[in-house]
Amino acid sequence: MNAPTGFDVGSIAERVQSEVQRAIQRSIKGVEYISSSGPSLGSTPKDVLISRGTMNLYHYRPMASEVYRVPILIVMATTNRGYILDLVPGQSFIEFMLKRGYDVYMLDWTAPKPEEKSLAMEDYVLDFIPDCVRRVQQDSGETDVSIIGYCFGGVLSLLYASIFNDGPMKNLICFTTPIDFREMKLFRSFSDRRYFDVDKLVDSVGNVPGDMIMTSFDMLRPASRVFSQVQLWDNIWNDEYVKGYRMMDRWGTDTLPLAGEYFRQTVKNLMWDNKLFNDTMTVGGREAKLANIKVPILHAVAEHDHIVPYDAAKHLITKIGSEDKEEVMLKGGHVSLVAGANAIKRLWPKLDTWLSKRST
Amino acid sequence: MADKGNDPAVIWQTMMGEMEKGFNSFGNQLMASPEFSRVMNQASGAAAGAQKQLGELMEKYLLAMNLPSRAQLVGMAERIQSIEGQLSEIKALLQQVHHNSLAPEGGYGTTQRPPRTKQPPPEGERK
Repeated sequence: MNAPTGFDVGSIAERVQSEVQRAIQRSIKGVEYISSSGPSLGSTPKDVLISRGTMNLYHYRPMASEVYRVPILIVMATTNRGYILDLVPGQSFIEFMLKRGYDVYMLDWTAPKPEEKSLAMEDYVLDFIPDCVRRVQQDSGETDVSIIGYCFGGVLSLLYASIFNDGPMKNLICFTTPIDFREMKLFRSFSDRRYFDVDKLVDSVGNVPGDMIMTSFDMLRPASRVFSQVQLWDNIWNDEYVKGYRMMDRWGTDTLPLAGEYFRQTVKNLMWDNKLFNDTMTVGGREAKLANIKVPILHAVAEHDHIVPYDAAKHLITKIGSEDKEEVMLKGGHVSLVAGANAIKRLWPKLDTWLSKRST
Repeated sequence: MADKGNDPAVIWQTMMGEMEKGFNSFGNQLMASPEFSRVMNQASGAAAGAQKQLGELMEKYLLAMNLPSRAQLVGMAERIQSIEGQLSEIKALLQQVHHNSLAPEGGYGTTQRPPRTKQPPPEGERK
């Protein structure tokens, strides 16, 4: 039989040879994969300034000979570990910011303990963030502080900024931050108030287990975990791919439990009543309207975000009271926007350009 | 090289990508329905209830056997952790005192920090 049009016998032989080599490499690397541990993550040198229950405040050691006047406080999402922003040297957002001359602090979370099940939104917004801001001011000797909030860390930062709108926040940066929870359609379906008894759940389990949170994230793309395993096998000969896979997989499966009371409030106030969007949100009896926020704000959203769809995030900039405000939409997903090879080229330089002018 | 459209590896990868998208989209449609929410929440509600009852039963059993419960062990772990935290604070303070005692008169008593004088690079000079 003749080869079909478009096939060249020489190139087919070359391709077969390359596939055989890859198959051999897969076997060797597959054994290596099973017998070795992944790369060490979150290793940028830092000091722990506060460690109080679920809350930790880190200060990263400066890497530049001169730094901008205004320090940065990063507020991590309560469901995830902060090392997503500090993967490995060369792929670390923290390292990038330190090398660009920023003084960086991070409010990171550990799993709340059973006795912390009564932690509420009030604790996060009126205690943890203000406490960290005070400590950053004390440590840096500066009054002004810029805040970066990632995902739900962005929601907490918005609540803080809307309540403490007379300072000391200098700039606010939100990464993929939802405000219109009607548009988080699948999460809304999972927590449909007709069928989801959040009181019963929280009263039964105390803190909501990390496995449950992780499953709900996985369910947004139900086939992806299986297909990612197939892709891993397909690419296991490629060290860079495997390194990237291991970093993301470890982080993705390292989901934190949520304090019970905080989860109950999040479901009722945000998921069911959409209070932040409807301007009816209060925290500890204090009004938290987005229009109260007057500081410069940058909101970075991802074009292919399956966790926070653009419709859930797009009204943030219009509802904010600031005059200096900007939304930037970049290629990528919820995680690849902030971490990984593409973030280095897209989000990080954009943020540096925006923030450097506002950090003196 | 072979035409990319005819390359079996490329065809395989494209097929996998399309299958993943298809399954995800089908799953999302299914999960958006109220029936799915009802069934899922009934199942998870029953599991949570059973977990609570089992926990209470175990607590009673451990008490009868004169063994510590999980809550008591967690409490002890908490106290140990707090002692460890205080020890590391004391260690840090001791190191600081030692460091200060080695510093020259009026010298580098506190950690050296870079000056907060950095200015943004002029437009067009960014890398």
